[in-house]
Amino acid sequence: MNALEFSGVTKRFGERTALRRVSFTLPEGSSLGLLGPNGAGKTTALRLLLGFTSPTEGSVRLAGKSPGDPDSRVGIAYLPESLKLPARLTVRRLLQLHGTLAGLAGAELEREVDESLELTGIADRARDRIGGLSKGLTQRVGFAQAFLGKPRLMFLDEPTSGLDPIGVREARDWIGLARDRGCSVLMSSHILSEVERVCDRIAIMNHGEIAASGDLAEIVQSGETLEDAFVRVVSGS
Amino acid sequence: MRASASRVFRALLGEAIHDAVRRRIVPAIAVVSLMSMMMVDGCTTCAAAPTIVQNGVSVEVPEVAGWTGIVIFSVLALWTMVLAGVLASDHLAEVLGDGTAPLVLSRPVSRASFALARLGGVLVIALVTGMVLLGGTTTLLVLRNGVTLGPAIWGGLACALGATITASLAMSLSLYLPRIATVMVVLVGVGMIATVNAIGLFRVELGGVVGAIDRFGPPLGTSVAMALAPWIAPAEVPADPLEVSIRAAAWAVAGVALLVVVFRKQDIGK
Repeated sequence: MNALEFSGVTKRFGERTALRRVSFTLPEGSSLGLLGPNGAGKTTALRLLLGFTSPTEGSVRLAGKSPGDPDSRVGIAYLPESLKLPARLTVRRLLQLHGTLAGLAGAELEREVDESLELTGIADRARDRIGGLSKGLTQRVGFAQAFLGKPRLMFLDEPTSGLDPIGVREARDWIGLARDRGCSVLMSSHILSEVERVCDRIAIMNHGEIAASGDLAEIVQSGETLEDAFVRVVSGS
Repeated sequence: MRASASRVFRALLGEAIHDAVRRRIVPAIAVVSLMSMMMVDGCTTCAAAPTIVQNGVSVEVPEVAGWTGIVIFSVLALWTMVLAGVLASDHLAEVLGDGTAPLVLSRPVSRASFALARLGGVLVIALVTGMVLLGGTTTLLVLRNGVTLGPAIWGGLACALGATITASLAMSLSLYLPRIATVMVVLVGVGMIATVNAIGLFRVELGGVVGAIDRFGPPLGTSVAMALAPWIAPAEVPADPLEVSIRAAAWAVAGVALLVVVFRKQDIGK
């Protein structure tokens, strides 16, 4: 069964075509890295998957359901590129809210909040207001909320943005842990090495189309690095 | 597992109320409300001795108390409706604009729940303010002027419906217009409807668009004034109470439904 399916999706915003007949699937338990230059359509693809906007043509399914159906988002975790959290909330309160929305309650909610705080190294900041946190700590809070409710599918948009090198390494471990638990991962990133280490498969997007896709060995030619392959695919040379 | 719809709604409503309470406009509302109550205190003291001296002879005018009550109550009810509209002018649009809403909407949360919770947050603040103002006014009018309590309760319900209409329409509009434009529409709209309703209540024949607004538009002023009409008995209000009540309820339901529909069509995280 596929965790998600993108079938012949075209998305236009007025005159501009953001995605053109894009198709890909993500089998359950696997991970896919979406690569591409700015404006390639990666974030638009994620917005379609979350039901934030509708496709002009084609269909998007999450576990067989339309993303417009709230049931399709059960077990979904999302970490947006520009993470904005309510500044007035404490870290714990935000996690309690997201845990509640994810279907947790009572002792299970508190236990998962504590586990997420411990996992992401922010247990000592649980009572701090989010508005007073640094960008890196805020990103850790973003990861902490993503882990609540034992997600079956994670959408990560530039997940290591704002993290220091130690944080980047830890984030990679957290994503690995989620994968070990059977969680499927769709990650969009500019950082090729990060995608290379975390994802089974890669799709390179350019001008709203999938320019290349497959596992690393299929995309990277002999003697090339992923960066060489990316530049070759994007520049068309 | 998905949380029950009521649990999700309660969680979202709690956050929406907290957000509304922390708005910078709230202290200003408290100050204006306090000043309003001081003004009402002064007005009801004057009306407490409803006599007019004409050619050196004191004339009892019992309706003075009723008219005073209707004017004060109606003005405060309209202020509550304006407040609901002004608060609604960015209570939903702001969380979409500042990027905090998409993370919540990535959860198994329906768009309708989210929009209704934001509307609920606005209405809680507006209606608590309205209850304080209208409740305080009614208490003073009942104690000092001897008006009856029943019409004030109906007037309060009419005010709540008016606030729901104003807030839901303003919140829908705020998804397409900048805040300042939405606030202007609220101020001009409520002011215009209240004026037209007031003219209509004095049996002036209204034609064209103005007449249509009075007959078919949201009866923001008419519904409140009509509820309070028993205070000036035997004077009559030239409107059918049942028709006005149904029209107010229909506008409230339509306003909320419009909000849900337009929010469902909204692109999130542009």
